[in-house]
Amino acid sequence: MSLLDVRGLTTEFRTEQGWRPAVSDVSFTLDPGEILGLVGESGCGKSTAAYSVMKLLGANARIAAGEAWLGGENLLAMDDNALRKLRGDRLSMIFQDPATALDPAITVGEQVMETVREHLGLDRRAARARALELFRQVGISDPERRLSAYPHQFSGGMAQRIALAIAISCNPEMLIADEPTTALDVTIQAQILRLIKTLLVTERRSAVLLITHDLGVVAQICDRVAVMYAGRIVEVGDVRSVFADPLHPYTRALLDALPTHEVARGALATIEGRVPGLTDRPSGCSFHPRCPHARPVCATELPPRVRPSPGREVSCVLHTADG
Amino acid sequence: MAEPLLRLDRLAKHFPVGGSWIDALTGKRSHVKAVDGVSLDVRQGETLAIVGESGSGKSTLGRLVMRLLTPSGGQVLYKGRNVVAMNRAELRQFRRQAQIIFQDPFSSLNPRMRIADIVREPLDVYQDGARADRPGRTEALLERVGLTAAHGRAYPSELSGGQRQRVGIAAALALSPELIVADEPTSALDVSVQAQTLNLLADLQASYHLTFVFITHDLGIVHHFADRVAVMYLGRIVEEAPTETLFREPKHPYTRSLLSAIPQPDPTKRVDWQLPEGEPPSPVDPPAGCSFHPRCPHAMDVCARQAPTLAPVEPGHRAACFLHQPAADSAPQTGMQS
Repeated sequence: MSLLDVRGLTTEFRTEQGWRPAVSDVSFTLDPGEILGLVGESGCGKSTAAYSVMKLLGANARIAAGEAWLGGENLLAMDDNALRKLRGDRLSMIFQDPATALDPAITVGEQVMETVREHLGLDRRAARARALELFRQVGISDPERRLSAYPHQFSGGMAQRIALAIAISCNPEMLIADEPTTALDVTIQAQILRLIKTLLVTERRSAVLLITHDLGVVAQICDRVAVMYAGRIVEVGDVRSVFADPLHPYTRALLDALPTHEVARGALATIEGRVPGLTDRPSGCSFHPRCPHARPVCATELPPRVRPSPGREVSCVLHTADG
Repeated sequence: MAEPLLRLDRLAKHFPVGGSWIDALTGKRSHVKAVDGVSLDVRQGETLAIVGESGSGKSTLGRLVMRLLTPSGGQVLYKGRNVVAMNRAELRQFRRQAQIIFQDPFSSLNPRMRIADIVREPLDVYQDGARADRPGRTEALLERVGLTAAHGRAYPSELSGGQRQRVGIAAALALSPELIVADEPTSALDVSVQAQTLNLLADLQASYHLTFVFITHDLGIVHHFADRVAVMYLGRIVEEAPTETLFREPKHPYTRSLLSAIPQPDPTKRVDWQLPEGEPPSPVDPPAGCSFHPRCPHAMDVCARQAPTLAPVEPGHRAACFLHQPAADSAPQTGMQS
C-alpha cells in the first residue's frame, strides 16, 4: 500500500480575475523507500502541489478540492494542531533556501535539540547526544564546535546539511524536498543528493517527494517521475521508461531541449511560445498551442488520463485507443 | 598562429575585505584574490567557456575583460592593445567592439524605458550612422533576435525572462561587436527557453563571426556550446583544453570531480559520484600550495608546499597539477592520507 495517496488535488490562487487554479486535479502516490520527482518549469504548480499536501499555503491560496491520505488519515481534512504535530513527527520538509527553515537568532545546536526534545521527548543530555549524532550523519565536521554556531556562519551547503539534520531527526516517514540543491554548486549538490538517498531511503525507508526543475537530478536519484505542466500532471512513470520513451509531447520536448554534446551546436530542440500564466491558461489541453501534434479536439477537451502500460500514465489524446 | 583577439596576461584582481580602517591604513587588511594570475588566449571566432563554482572568480574575470573592474595586476590585450592602459577615447572605441550580456536581464534593463529605446540607446550614444536610419535599424535588431515591433513598444516588466534576455542580446549587437562576454546568460531561464537562447547565440555567432567568452557553471551547456574550456578554482585556472579533450580526458582532479558531479539526464548512466570532500575553502584564506589539495584524493606532500603552474600536458591542453608535472623542489612524495 502506498504511504501517501493524493487524489484530485486542486489548489487555487487569488488573482485580479478571481480564484484561479494553480494546481488542477493532481493525483499521485508515493511508496515507502521511494523517491518521486515532481518536475516542471517555473509556474507549473509543482511546489504548490507539494505545499498543499502539507497545508503550507499563504492567505492568497486555498485548497478547492482533493484528498491526501497518509495511512488512514486525510491530511487535507485535519485541523491545524494535529497537522502541526504530524509535520514534525512523520513528515519533514527542506527548502531551496535552508535559511527558510532555520532561525537566525538561535544556535543551530539549540534548533536541532529543540526539535528532538519536542517530538521525541528527550531530555537535554540525550537531545545533545542525538544532535551530535545527526550532525555526524549529515557530514558536518567538528560537530561539538558547530553546535554553538549560528546559521549565518554556515555556507549554503552546510546550512542545507543542518536543515537535513533537523528534517531527519524524528525519522520521518516522508520528506518533501523543494529544489533542495538548486542554489548549490554542482559538487555540493551531489553531496546533498547522496545524503538524501542514504539517510532517508537506504537507512530509514522513508519516502521522498523531490520537487525539481532539473531532469539530470531526476535521472540520477529518482525512482519515478511526475511531469507537470500548467498545473496538471501530464505524465507519470518509472524514471527509466519515461526518459527512454517519453509519452507526452511536453516531456519529450523538455528532454530534447537539454544541451548535451551529442547535439550539434545551435540545433537544440525548442518549445515554441511560453508557459501560460495563471490567468491565461488555454482551454482543453493546456499544452496544445505549443504542441507539434495538436489536433482540433485538443483545443476544446481535456485529454483523458490513460495507462498505456503498467506503472505509466499519460494525459494525451495520442495515446487513447483511437489516437 | 594568428595573434589572438584577446589575451589575458597574469591578470589579477584582489578585493580588500573586513578589517578596520586602521588595518586599511597600516596595510594589514586582508584581500580576497578573486582572480589570481590568469593567462589565457581567446581566438577570433571561437567560444571559450570559463567554468567554475561560486567563488571561483569567473564573473570577476569577465568584468575585468570588459574593464568594468580595474585589475590589481596584469594585462588585458585586445588585438594587441592593453585595455587596462586605454584612455577614455580608446576605451570608448574598445566598448564598441566588446559587449557583455548579464545573467539577469531584468536588472540590466532600465524599467522606465521602452524596449525599442533600450535597443537603440547604443546607436544614439555612439551616434552610429544617420539618425534617420536608427528606428529601422532598431526594428531590424529586434527582428534578428526574434522579437517584434510590438515588443519594442513594451516596457521590460511586460516581457518574460527569455524575451528580456533577447533584448539584452539585441542591445549588445547594436554596434556590431566582435567580442561578446556572456556571464551566465541562461542560468535564470527555464530549460525550454534556455534552448531558444542558446540557439539564438549560436546562430548569431555564425552570422557575424562573433567571438564568445562564455561564463557558466553549467557543464552541459559548455559541452554543447564551447570550442575550448578553462576551469577555474579559487581565482586560478586549473585546466584548459579543447572541449572534447577536456570531457574525454580531464587531467586535473578538480575537473574530474566537477565532471563526475554533473547529474546526467540519463537514468541508465547513474554515477557513483567521485566527490571532493568538504567545501571550497574561503578565497580570503586559501590553502598554501595547490588550493585544491585539502580536498584532493591524490594530494601529495608537495601539493601543500608549492603551487603548480598551468603547464602543457599535451599540445593545446594545460593543467596545473603535480600529477602531470615534476615538482620543482623534490621528487614526488608518497600519497598523503587525509
